[in-house]
Amino acid sequence: MTPHTAAGSAFPVAVRSAAWHVPETAVAVPELTELASLSESERRTCLALGIESVRADDALNAAALGELAARDALAHAGLAARDLGALIVVEPRAPETLLSSEATRLQHLLGAERAVTFTVGGLGCVSVTPALLAARGLLCADPELGDVLVVHGSKPAAAGRYRHPVTVNGDGGQALLLSRDATAGTAGTGPGPGPHRSAPVRLLDIAQETNGEHWDLFHVAYRDRPTSEWREECRDVSTYSFRLAMEGRGRLSGLLDGLLERNGLKPGDVRGYVSQNLSAAGFTFTEESLGIRILPVCRDNLRRYGHLGPNDVFLNLWTAIERGELAEGDHAVLINVSPVAAWSVLLAEIGPQEERAQ
Amino acid sequence: MNDTTREITEFLSAALRCEVGPDDDYFALGLADSLFALELVTFVEGRFSLTVEVEDLDLESFRTANRITAFVRRKTGAPEFTETP
Repeated sequence: MTPHTAAGSAFPVAVRSAAWHVPETAVAVPELTELASLSESERRTCLALGIESVRADDALNAAALGELAARDALAHAGLAARDLGALIVVEPRAPETLLSSEATRLQHLLGAERAVTFTVGGLGCVSVTPALLAARGLLCADPELGDVLVVHGSKPAAAGRYRHPVTVNGDGGQALLLSRDATAGTAGTGPGPGPHRSAPVRLLDIAQETNGEHWDLFHVAYRDRPTSEWREECRDVSTYSFRLAMEGRGRLSGLLDGLLERNGLKPGDVRGYVSQNLSAAGFTFTEESLGIRILPVCRDNLRRYGHLGPNDVFLNLWTAIERGELAEGDHAVLINVSPVAAWSVLLAEIGPQEERAQ
Repeated sequence: MNDTTREITEFLSAALRCEVGPDDDYFALGLADSLFALELVTFVEGRFSLTVEVEDLDLESFRTANRITAFVRRKTGAPEFTETP
């Protein structure tokens, strides 16, 4: 069966500003306390991921990480939270309490009283993609709506930070401020700023696919045990390493081909590829599967921060821009994969950098 | 061991850097990761001129060299492979 792909858009979105907050405290991976409880094979895999350290601060929960990033992104753009048209929170891996709302919690913390506020998620680190789809849909459908802020605070769900055999999770918050893109000829008459003419990044297209067969391949059981015993577990490592990996090769290849074709681009027109930061071997897998090279910044951020869930790809993109690996007019593709399983590719165009957020 | 299985075991032994017999389950032994899986599928596709589709991605077909041989036979329609001493 041919999967339906969420893709195709004549409505580019301007990423007006972006900001991240990572705790100052770094924990070296060889010093993670949980290493002592791992088998020799697991420990060896963990230490070979290409991650030297992760940032961690028990005093900052997901909401605080998101709030700090959100305040920075708004300050960079000179926009007050009360003028936001919408606030979309990418759900935390584990809410602190059930029944309560992490989205309206952040709305309250920021003072974004007038923002249409809700949470999206369900796709692991790909969850940033449905947030972007929702933001784009809002901006396209409601010309009265102001800018949209997409926020995520990344904290591990489990007591430990290692997810065998995949990655080590770090702490970090991200906020992306999205506007209508003036270069697309869209009108803006809402209470927020009008179409943005000089955004540092334009998001041209979004494509996403999922396969529900693997919905619980990775999971954290929690109902019958104290939090100290929560662990990120893989139901079947062979399924992850073989079936899902090889399905991912085909899915990503098809998504990338389609993305480039409908935007009139050839592979040589893409200046750089970034992906989520899981492991050095994960980068190599993506490179060999697609016949591409991942920008060096991804391996650097992996080494420094570990995996920051839905925040990785835009952090990598912005770091690449800062380092001059991408410049105005370049096209970049952001690749995201989640073991739930979900795949997405985003096409971005680099704009002028006078308003660089970080 | 037929020529195809022999060729596959040689590939597996080189890729996994250890001696692999025709019925050794290298996934159960914990020797396989996603990079190896990519290398294996790419080898099978290239060497036997076939395409491994998503519906072919049953791990049972790839657990051992003998099972890969059977998979190749199914995909290519080859009746039997030549035995060599």
